Amino acid sequence: MALDPNDEILQDFLVSSREILEALDKQLVELEQRPDDKELLNAVFRGFHTIKGGASFLALTPLVEVCHRGEDVFNLLRRGERTVTSQLMDVVLRVLDSVNEMFTQLNRAEMPDSADPELLAQLEKLSRPGGDNATPTPAVAAPTPVEASGDITDDEFESLLDALAGGEAPAAAKPTAKPTALASTVPAQAAAGEISDDEFEALLDQLQGSVKPAAPQASPAPAAPEAAPAKAVENRPRAPAAEPGAASAAPAGETTVRVDTQRLDDIMNMVGELVLVRNRLTNLQATMGDERLAKAVADLNMVTTDLQIAVMKTRMQPIKKVYGKFPRVVRDVARSLSKEVTLEMRGEDTEVDKNLVEVLNDPLVHLVRNAIDHGIEAPEVRAAAGKPRHGTLLLAAEQVGDHILLTISDDGAGMDPDVLRNKVVEKGLMDADVAARLTPQECYNLIFLPGFSTKTQISDISGRGVGMDVVRTKINSLNGSIEIDSARGQGSSILIRVPLTLAIMPALMVIVDRQIFALPLASVAEILDMDLTATNVVDGQLMVLVRDKTLPLFYLQHWLAPGTPNRPLPKNGHVVVAHVGSQRVGLVVDQLIGQEEAVIKPLGSRLQGTPGLAGATITGTGRIALILDLPTLVRHYARRSYREVA
Amino acid sequence: MPVRILIVDDSGFFRRRLSEIFAADPAIEVVGTAGNGQEGVDQVARLRPDVVTMDIEMPVMDGITAVRRIMAAHPTPILMFSSLTTEGAQSTFDALEAGAADYLPKRLEDIAADRNEAIRQLTTRVRLLASRGLRHTASRQPAQVIAREVARTPTARSAAAGRYRILAIGASTGGPVALQQVLTALPKDFPLPILLVQHMPASFTGPFAQRLNQMCAISVKEAADGDVLAAGHALLAPGGKQMVIEQRVSGQVAVRIRESEPGQNYRPSVDTTFTSVARIFPGKTLALVLTGMGADGREGARALKQGGSSVWAQDEKSCVVYGMPAAVAEAGLADQVLPLTSIGPEIAHEVSAWTS
Repeated sequence: MALDPNDEILQDFLVSSREILEALDKQLVELEQRPDDKELLNAVFRGFHTIKGGASFLALTPLVEVCHRGEDVFNLLRRGERTVTSQLMDVVLRVLDSVNEMFTQLNRAEMPDSADPELLAQLEKLSRPGGDNATPTPAVAAPTPVEASGDITDDEFESLLDALAGGEAPAAAKPTAKPTALASTVPAQAAAGEISDDEFEALLDQLQGSVKPAAPQASPAPAAPEAAPAKAVENRPRAPAAEPGAASAAPAGETTVRVDTQRLDDIMNMVGELVLVRNRLTNLQATMGDERLAKAVADLNMVTTDLQIAVMKTRMQPIKKVYGKFPRVVRDVARSLSKEVTLEMRGEDTEVDKNLVEVLNDPLVHLVRNAIDHGIEAPEVRAAAGKPRHGTLLLAAEQVGDHILLTISDDGAGMDPDVLRNKVVEKGLMDADVAARLTPQECYNLIFLPGFSTKTQISDISGRGVGMDVVRTKINSLNGSIEIDSARGQGSSILIRVPLTLAIMPALMVIVDRQIFALPLASVAEILDMDLTATNVVDGQLMVLVRDKTLPLFYLQHWLAPGTPNRPLPKNGHVVVAHVGSQRVGLVVDQLIGQEEAVIKPLGSRLQGTPGLAGATITGTGRIALILDLPTLVRHYARRSYREVA
Repeated sequence: MPVRILIVDDSGFFRRRLSEIFAADPAIEVVGTAGNGQEGVDQVARLRPDVVTMDIEMPVMDGITAVRRIMAAHPTPILMFSSLTTEGAQSTFDALEAGAADYLPKRLEDIAADRNEAIRQLTTRVRLLASRGLRHTASRQPAQVIAREVARTPTARSAAAGRYRILAIGASTGGPVALQQVLTALPKDFPLPILLVQHMPASFTGPFAQRLNQMCAISVKEAADGDVLAAGHALLAPGGKQMVIEQRVSGQVAVRIRESEPGQNYRPSVDTTFTSVARIFPGKTLALVLTGMGADGREGARALKQGGSSVWAQDEKSCVVYGMPAAVAEAGLADQVLPLTSIGPEIAHEVSAWTS
């Protein structure tokens, strides 16, 4: 049954429930640490209760049913008639998953499907008082397809098919299976517990499948176009802290208006146009030199900047949206790896552009999983090293200037540059002598190379060697950067910088063959004027020595204006040194214009998907400039050896 | 002047829905909303609303505690919103005992099948509670008020010995607390069987019967089809159904529980039970109509009166809603009109005087 996506009440329910679900996620994880906390039990009870109430108002029966049973279980818990066990938590967390799934359906304006009957039966059992010995049926029940293990080997698959076909007994088929390296790890995982494989698979798929760096402007929401506007964002104007008690009593609902995100996008677009006009006026004024005009332009400049910030703020959402789910992720991963991890979060209220929040989600989840899997040691190892058994994972967010800095740091084993050097050579990704020359900092960045994984055993959690390069690509596609710092025995930190917004970007405007191009300022390290004859060709690649370090040099003209190849290249030139992935490259341009606020406009259908182009903008002089996407540009045009490093 | 209402609910979603519903009624003005019990108590002190709607499950301070605080500081008619579960029933009775005037199911579908009808009933309930103001705070009325002498009119008492064979009581809004007060006054050896009809949703009558059973000297149970009447035992009509009695060949009188028919708006209905009692025990019934909205019980009382039985009604002052007792009294069917606190002792007195 389809629901009306424009139903205000449904939308209100979705928005208010989202907060409750996020809170529940966190509360349930806390509950494992403080199973006797009455307040917490009450809070969880109320969470289910409130969602149930709203759901029954809207006659969403499947949701009512599952929440109702969840509520029943917590009612027993809060009255002390049952105690929190890890088995119970497993069931309850599955309930939350089920509720979340239903909300996914509701967001698509579909009537949610009923919860798994087996889950409901388990809940039913738990909601009867006493009977703590009631052992829930094994979590990996064979007939539920959702539960299917992610890493299924061919042999297992065969035997499963056999079992389904009803032919041989599946037990007989199993021993004949050749024990491959992969297969040998599988039973262990299955036994390790309930970290849901499908969830992880989905994540991997998403990371692998959805990387389209050339289209940063495209909304990352995979929803169908007609469904997209239905999604609404609740803006909560920050009430001044010092308001009298009356304010605290005022309901949140009365001071907020729900606005279609499409409308916000439109406004942002128009502000973008305004910024462009402002840029042109500023330019004109500079050439005319009229004082009164200068005054007016200066005023316009200020107002436009304020407006731009104000509009940007309407699109801001607290990073909590992403961070909120980490307690659960950490709990699940730590549990399946038998590690003890305390999650600390800081700056959850830091606000980020809505689109960024959505795009950042997957990379962050991957990094957090990695930190627990690779970074934090097993409790015994930690104890032996004189560290507390509990590892600590810190997730922090703060606004630094016009950027958001996200930090993921652990107090784990840290990284060993030599291990990384050996690995990269072993994998054939780099020559031994090149690797030997890498600084420790550069070594850490090796983990971003495609195909690089330091774990010899492939675990369920990470270590497939596909994650980190995808993470970096994704961060880069947001005009962001990612850095690693590590100290052996003390832990590692990953620093991610992303711009506040995706709509307007500070850019360095340059001219290449009479055309203007915009380079994202975030990736520009420095600008050099240098003698272009003092170059060497190493292994077929043009290199230049800058402060005793080699820098690969590329003529942008060769890539961007290949039609005019035989123009003599100047002896002296402007070189823009840019970060491209973990590498620095020198890009030769004809002329430098300066810094400008580039309002990103999507490319027309003809240019859409052209490698190396992130979009277009209109310059202060009213000309059109293409915005370069340096990582893809380099990857696409540079020689193979650099393509990989990039 | 519109009814000034305060909404207390921890779910923003519900606050907004209720605000919408009340805002659509020109006779009601939402003067404030509160997200938990404590805020509710503070807002009542500040805004002095005419009516409060109150959720039960809330953080910081739950609805029952909030009712208690509000009734202590600034007595205000409070309408509870309850879940129709066993748990919800218990909390609701606690809230009523704490002084809440009335309750409604939180699900509109549970109020009435048709949403507009449900909204109409909801707003009517609010307006009515406001217009009646606060009639009583039953739970805190001291017991010694009973001292008041009731003008006992020895109305058309039949000469027959063993005047009463059964006590039948009907109630609606305000009934749970009123019934509790009446029944707790009856002694363990009360000589008559008792039939109770309280307008209540199906999931509430079971817990309500259990609760009364725990509080009273007499025994109380939710009536099941075939239960035999016995002295000192009260049978509560199950919600959603209808309760009648019939005489068996053996001479025993048993209750029959029937499904409600489409025309029967009250489930259970006082009229249905009273009429059936009038047929089996003509002239030998003591019937009581307690607080409640509407006029259910009047026709049953008429049938009882015609057979020569006695009908008493609760007085206006002690009623949460003076509807059903008013209907009986205004139709000239009430032998006595009594304040709530006197009813229990009066029954005990009357029955002991006329039985045995």
